[in-house]
Amino acid sequence: MTSLRRRQIAVAVLAFVTGIGVLVVMINGRHNNHRGAYAALALGIGWGFIGTGLYVWGRRPKNNIGLLMIAVGFSGFLKSLAFSNNSVVFAISSIGEVLIYALLVHLLLSFPTGRLESRLDRILVAITYFNTIVLQLAAFVFTGPAKAGCPRCPANPLLINQSEAATVINTAQVDIAVALLGAVVAVLYRHWRGSTPSQARAFTPILAVGSLTFVLLMTSLIAEQANLSSQINDALTLALFGSIACLPFAFLLGLLRSRFNPAEAINSLVAQVGGGGGRGALRNALAAALGDPTLEVAYWVPDQGAYVDAEGRPIRIDPAPEGKIATGIEHEGRRVAAIVHDAGLAEQQELVQTVGAAAALTLENERLDAELRASVAELRASRARIVQAGDEQRRRIERDLHDGAQQRLMALGINLRLLRDQIKRDPQDAIELLDASLQELSEATGELRELARGIHPAVLNDRGLQAALNALARRSPVPVEVVETPCDRLPASIESAVYFVVAEALTNAARYATAQSVTVSVVRRHAQVEIDVTDDGVGGGADPQQGSGLRGLHDRIAALDGHLDLASAASKGTTLRARIPCG
Amino acid sequence: MAKTVLIVDDHPSFRASARRMLEADGYDVIEEAEDGAAALAAVQRLCPDLVLLDVRLPDLDGFEVARRLLGASGPTPQIVLVSSHDSTDLGDAIGATGARGFVPKSELSAEAISSLIR
Repeated sequence: MTSLRRRQIAVAVLAFVTGIGVLVVMINGRHNNHRGAYAALALGIGWGFIGTGLYVWGRRPKNNIGLLMIAVGFSGFLKSLAFSNNSVVFAISSIGEVLIYALLVHLLLSFPTGRLESRLDRILVAITYFNTIVLQLAAFVFTGPAKAGCPRCPANPLLINQSEAATVINTAQVDIAVALLGAVVAVLYRHWRGSTPSQARAFTPILAVGSLTFVLLMTSLIAEQANLSSQINDALTLALFGSIACLPFAFLLGLLRSRFNPAEAINSLVAQVGGGGGRGALRNALAAALGDPTLEVAYWVPDQGAYVDAEGRPIRIDPAPEGKIATGIEHEGRRVAAIVHDAGLAEQQELVQTVGAAAALTLENERLDAELRASVAELRASRARIVQAGDEQRRRIERDLHDGAQQRLMALGINLRLLRDQIKRDPQDAIELLDASLQELSEATGELRELARGIHPAVLNDRGLQAALNALARRSPVPVEVVETPCDRLPASIESAVYFVVAEALTNAARYATAQSVTVSVVRRHAQVEIDVTDDGVGGGADPQQGSGLRGLHDRIAALDGHLDLASAASKGTTLRARIPCG
Repeated sequence: MAKTVLIVDDHPSFRASARRMLEADGYDVIEEAEDGAAALAAVQRLCPDLVLLDVRLPDLDGFEVARRLLGASGPTPQIVLVSSHDSTDLGDAIGATGARGFVPKSELSAEAISSLIR
């Protein structure tokens, strides 16, 4: 037996014994009317709250709601002991008789999480406890029962002095209580408006009966101050106690309303899915089956290692949006989808899993559709990026030409025009000018050669991949070892892709990785070309999806049905790996 | 007295050739600037007679530099715009600046500049 179970049994036994004791005390009380009705209500309130509280405590041990309900039940018994003829019991009960209202305020304001979520909630509860404990005790020590309208009540053993102070404090208590209760009802309404759909289902009966209780309490307090007839006061008090006695059942109803029967949920799911309805029908069916209109379905796309929505758009579920939880659904041991649902369903994971399992096959079909849409979307994005990259490359070539060779040729033109005038006038100066011009010409030629190589390396066409990679290795500032290249020529598009993968990796190794050496391996096997470029640099490099250089390569490789990935852990170097089908 | 000149261009090789050309023709090249901000500061400091101003600069473009120089109070320099592009690429923008004229870099000579300035 668990320790929680033992504690629940102990509380249940204590509640039973206390209830019987209270019943005996109330039946034998000599100073109250309607003893039978009050006794029935006292037992209804006490046992009702404690029983419901024990059930909630067992279901949600970490949630304070169950314990608060048990406390309300025992405070109801405490209040009922005011029927006692014994002066000590009577005094204790009189001091604690309004504690039940503070506990009720605490209980309702902390529903459903068991925590007082806002500062306003905490302030309201603190004032309520102050009013019902501190002010109650202060008033009691100045109150003699005989003079307070109860001549048959036992004497007050704590009486200091029968004083008007008691009346002043009581009036203040009532004024504070009326204002507080009005505020509490307003705050409860705000909680209800702000609750999630599944919380709202549970909250509605509790809010209705709780608000009625507080309104009756306010009316009762105002009527008490207005000195209305005792029949009216008694009727209001009985109505108030009746309303309090109904509250545990409102909690039970709320819990039932927030729970679903798995069989009903699956029936609802099957009926709705069977009706067809195209894309979105499954989401709607799951939403109806689980009673969560805000529910979303995220489909797993293994190739992207990410979730997408039904349209194939990326969707993030980790972390889930605020107030939501994602429950993963598998089919034949493979991840299929995740149901992103109201956090209020967190305690019904079994139900969500059951409904998800029932829908797994349909989810798998929709997942394939979503995967296809995601591929199409990725293809579109990649096509747009290729066009963009082409434009960017043309801009770069124009800039490089303008800033480099073009400027040198312009300068050369000026020098030659000047040379034409100088050659007869000052031959020595003309020679110096000619030397400067030849230098400009040499640098312009070098820059044009470099630019042409960047557009497409002629050596690749003329002498093949091995020669082109060796040329890249010779030009690299970091020592490069080309360990393996295919003996035969590959299709031109693949040779070109291999060349640019290696060129980008070598550029990154020199520019960012502070590497000491790089190895390059290009192998043709199993109908694909495997390219591995590994450096011994700092690692922790970029994602192939990020950064324009790597993203451009990713698109270039994807266009050949290949894929590119980067392994780059901090301090462990970087390996750029590409695989391209080559039949 | 030789006209003082400020050459504004972000390419050192072009600046060197332009300096050599102008000095051979009797101009006094008193400063070179590699961007618009440096050009504005140099004009304020040195008050050159002529600014040989490239249209494409790394910060402000040459048109904007020309507008600011000619819109300033006090004596303003004569400005000749130069560019690797020809005048058809630049359109009406040259006339709108108030510069003395435009010479493509491919046709730049001391005579071409002298024909534009007072």
